[in-house]
Amino acid sequence: MLTGALAADLAVNGLVTGLFYALMAVGLALIFGVLRIVNFAHGEFYMVGAYAYTIVAARLGVPLAVALPTAFLFGAALGWVVERTLMRPLYANIATWGLMRDEYAVIVTFGLSLLLVNLVDKAIGPYAFRAPALVSASRIVVGPALMSGQKVAAAGVTLVTLAFIALFLRFSYWGRAVRAVSQNRLGASLAGIDATAVSSLVFALAGGLAALAGALLSPIINASPDVGAFPAIKSYVIVVLGGMGSILGAFIASLLLGLVESFGAVLVSYQYRDTFGLVLLILFLLFRPQGLFGERGREV
Amino acid sequence: MRNVSHLAIAALTLSVSLAGSAYAADPVKVGVTVTQSPPGSVVQGTQVKDGLEVAAKMLNDQGGVLGRPIELVVEDTQGLPEKARAAVEKLITRDKVVAIVGEHQSSNVLAGMEVAHRYHVPYINTNGWADAIREKGYPEVFNPNNYNRRVAMAAADSIKKLGAKKVVAFAENTDYGIGLAKGIAEQLKAVAPDISYRFDTLDRAAKDYLPAILPLRSDPPNVVVDIMLPPAAYIMMNQVYEQGVAPATKTWLYDASGLADYPDFWQNVKEAGKDMLVFGLYHPKMKAPELAKTIGDAYTKKTGAQPNRLLYQAADSLLVVADAIKRANSTEPDPLVKALEATKYTGTRGEITFSTESGYKYHQWLDIPYVTFQITEIGQKVADAPLVEQAGQPLDPSKLARP
Repeated sequence: MLTGALAADLAVNGLVTGLFYALMAVGLALIFGVLRIVNFAHGEFYMVGAYAYTIVAARLGVPLAVALPTAFLFGAALGWVVERTLMRPLYANIATWGLMRDEYAVIVTFGLSLLLVNLVDKAIGPYAFRAPALVSASRIVVGPALMSGQKVAAAGVTLVTLAFIALFLRFSYWGRAVRAVSQNRLGASLAGIDATAVSSLVFALAGGLAALAGALLSPIINASPDVGAFPAIKSYVIVVLGGMGSILGAFIASLLLGLVESFGAVLVSYQYRDTFGLVLLILFLLFRPQGLFGERGREV
Repeated sequence: MRNVSHLAIAALTLSVSLAGSAYAADPVKVGVTVTQSPPGSVVQGTQVKDGLEVAAKMLNDQGGVLGRPIELVVEDTQGLPEKARAAVEKLITRDKVVAIVGEHQSSNVLAGMEVAHRYHVPYINTNGWADAIREKGYPEVFNPNNYNRRVAMAAADSIKKLGAKKVVAFAENTDYGIGLAKGIAEQLKAVAPDISYRFDTLDRAAKDYLPAILPLRSDPPNVVVDIMLPPAAYIMMNQVYEQGVAPATKTWLYDASGLADYPDFWQNVKEAGKDMLVFGLYHPKMKAPELAKTIGDAYTKKTGAQPNRLLYQAADSLLVVADAIKRANSTEPDPLVKALEATKYTGTRGEITFSTESGYKYHQWLDIPYVTFQITEIGQKVADAPLVEQAGQPLDPSKLARP
């Protein structure tokens, strides 16, 4: 039975889970917004971040406050390299998106996903590792909810990061450039914006955010080679729900999905928890295919 | 001319005898299906593979079987039933193995044994606990390992001894998890019908089990039963502990999956593992035949790790095959199956025999020894964890340490 205390508990848990989804989904939305591709290796950036943080903090003994940004930088660097080496052929010498080879993006990112999972599996091993927590307290009272110290810290870092990303996109030169390229790549190029550099930036930023999500959650979900698969699937659902390429949409949809899963698991059944997002996805595709904040089409 | 004829005959005789000796030295190939890469349990797969290799080496050092060395042909299933099925097909048709051993996941056993049954090749189930494996009644399938009904009986007896009134189990969404959760329900109904019991099925690929755990905070049960395998089990345990549900003053955590035996247990679980009760198929303080020490020492020498239950289960799986080949004096399926059925072999855990009763008992070693122990310190080794239930005796509540 759903009591007031349980409802509050579920709401807090759903919102916190949604925040973690958002950190992944915002990066995916950015990539789609600028490059118009779905990055099937996005979950593996999450996995790489979880391992980077675990190895740097637990094995090398680096302070946690340094290990966390290191994981972000590692993911960002990997994203930048991937964009430079694997994504460039997508739009090299192509001024409009009409000539892009979408199937190339699907194949190359899917292949990258398999490569990274197997590389980590062989190089580090298949065993799960629990990373050291930023806050070691096992239980902290947060309003009506009980949470581990790490979860509270991770939620805090996530909120700050998302706020920073929002401000960056709204007010900085590069943020405006990202928005301009996502609206019209050719138009932005004609206005003097380096669309190629923006693509690199977006891939690096998305990689860094996914890696940060993996690092923040690695003390909770334990790093293993296949750890990125589940959050990646959630992110794909969120990006469609929020509206392809919409950052605000991805954020709102993340919280919505977190809440729906949390309450649905108790009110309907935990066993259907992961289908709630898919049901939402089907409903949106049927009745609002552009998502929460997406547009039906755009022509310039 | 005559000399030439003699030379020809001598050459022919020599070549035939050489061919004969080469044939005699041909290895007896035994197929192995184990998980060596995700998403299945690589931890289990590695322990099983190491155990089989230790047993194979011991057998080969003793001269092999029928004067031929044993060769293990290993296939990685990734813990996926479709790959297990394909692996068994390949091992039987291409590698011509005389038997299959090693599988450690019920879903994979259920997939692989279908192929073995079709080709009538002996299939030794090393660690598939699902009763459905036995209930199929396939004459080629033999089970010198644990079975769900055994754990269900042990768990139900322990829960009753703990004086529980309300019990919740978290079971993974596999043949093993759901089968055992249902088995505990049946056993509790039989031995303690007053106990309220329910189980939640959790996706082993998921990372957030809180929606299933949160309702327990306001109405905690007396016992939470773990029926999940790593790494999902670790995440569930940490979240159950984080929410203050179990282990707690009011609530025991009973591990029906033998988690404490895994080498990565303490890497992934800290406070959540303390005070947990563990159903154990192996504990260094259990009485065991001399062979266990030989195998255990060889395993430690090979891997640097302490012996564990899967080592012994794997070793016994291969040892019963070797024993059957020797008694049958053949590697052909029919005599091998017949010899396996008549097994009376003292392995690493006791005298192994296979029941011919139908249902979950079919081709099952029924008297699998087990104990219950309690983890009383964070980072504690299994050897140091006190036994609260000796093999063949009921759980002793006076030995329990309350969380």
